[in-house]
Amino acid sequence: MTRRASMHPPPDVAVWLGTAAPVRSIRWLDGALATAAKFGAATAIAAGENNWLDLAADRATRAGLASAGIQTDLKLDYLGWAQIVAAAVRELDATTVLVDEASRPERFPEVAAIAELLDAVQLTHVVALAPDGAVVHASRSVGRELQTVRVRGPAVIGVRIAGPPVEEYPT
Amino acid sequence: MAAVLVHIDLDGDRPNASSMVALAAGRHLASSWGATLYAALITQNTSEKKSADSTAQIVSTAKVPGIEAIEAALARGGADKIVVAMTDGPVAPLWAAVGTAWQGVVDQLRPRLVLFGAESPSAADLGPRTGARIGARLLLRAKALGGADVELRDRDGGYARITDSGAAVALIGSAEAAPAGDDDVDLVVLAMPGGGDQRLELAGMTAAEVSHTGSAVVVIGDDVASDVKIVTDAKRLAALLGAQLVGSAGAARVLAQGAIVDRQTAMAPALCVLIGNAQVDLAGSTSVIRIGAQPNKSVDGALPGPIDKSLADLVKRLERS
Repeated sequence: MTRRASMHPPPDVAVWLGTAAPVRSIRWLDGALATAAKFGAATAIAAGENNWLDLAADRATRAGLASAGIQTDLKLDYLGWAQIVAAAVRELDATTVLVDEASRPERFPEVAAIAELLDAVQLTHVVALAPDGAVVHASRSVGRELQTVRVRGPAVIGVRIAGPPVEEYPT
Repeated sequence: MAAVLVHIDLDGDRPNASSMVALAAGRHLASSWGATLYAALITQNTSEKKSADSTAQIVSTAKVPGIEAIEAALARGGADKIVVAMTDGPVAPLWAAVGTAWQGVVDQLRPRLVLFGAESPSAADLGPRTGARIGARLLLRAKALGGADVELRDRDGGYARITDSGAAVALIGSAEAAPAGDDDVDLVVLAMPGGGDQRLELAGMTAAEVSHTGSAVVVIGDDVASDVKIVTDAKRLAALLGAQLVGSAGAARVLAQGAIVDRQTAMAPALCVLIGNAQVDLAGSTSVIRIGAQPNKSVDGALPGPIDKSLADLVKRLERS
């Protein structure tokens, strides 16, 4: 018997862009936003200073996503930011959270911390993602191999997916 | 007495090399702090009798095939006690697969410090989730520093000391060799109830394209690709780091098939070593070392000076360590 995707609606999605502008290249930020856009309606979340929030909102708008900015000058660790993100996710009623792991090195521990607070499945180092109804198909990088997984239910997914090169932000 | 817990990944029937580095760091810390050093690993319970209730149960070592060799290696590596947690489902370096069993170990031992090898397969997934679960500080690529009291420090200024009040989780990047332990070590085998998280299903593994390499890459520039010595050392460096050697089309004849990248190829490895004028489009999360250039803010480290000498020196140091 052929397995079919669930008839349930796709999950509501939030994408956590972090607390500061990307290091080196903006294309990974764009890639995370484009990945979130595959799910349909999604909201980008960023926290930090105004300049960063403006940039995040601009890139989210170009990707066709709504955005939410949390203006703050707090300096927190991975647990602190995870609490802020989890609160924002609950407010947005999202069940799937994408995290831009690639733009800055300090982001990846937040995937696990957010998943812990939301009691969600966690996935890191995801390089390809395809929503399919209530199921999300993901490929994650494990050394020199690609591991393919299927996820159902609440999930926090750290993505390392690049968008196209952007000439106005040279790398 | 305080506990220092080291997670041990297995490569087949042997402890993972990076996990053994973490164990060495744990030995230094436990000896300095007067703590007990536990080495813990997770295996699949393939026996017919599973754990009947919701609590961990102590079972016989006879249920863990091949444990003797692992036990001996961990004992010589400095462990005071070894804990083997057996889970009902298949073991994979994913929280969804082994998180329940691992959490059982952490709940039993209530460690003050939990260590993972930074290069070990489970570090990225289990380390931060462990820290979040127990509310611990997280140190990335930490190393043990000696002194009156040994402490852990990472490159971002994070530290773990004997005088700290809370718990810490650290991914250990390097450690000095610890004194070899004797073969007499306590071993406990716990059968943990339940298996993996049913919300995640493993579908398969395939070889990754070079642009999706997650660990390390060494990129050789066109300007040095015709230098036999540099190419030889670059290949040795890649082998030492477990990295792929890649480059542009100009270096194609010294590269393996599928290892050609251009300036716009987006890559997000954990570590990238650039030799000569090599240029690739790297993620912000990548640690970048450039050989043959001055340090600048776009790289995390640089070895200035003649490329052939700097590269050869680096390879020698890594081979000795």
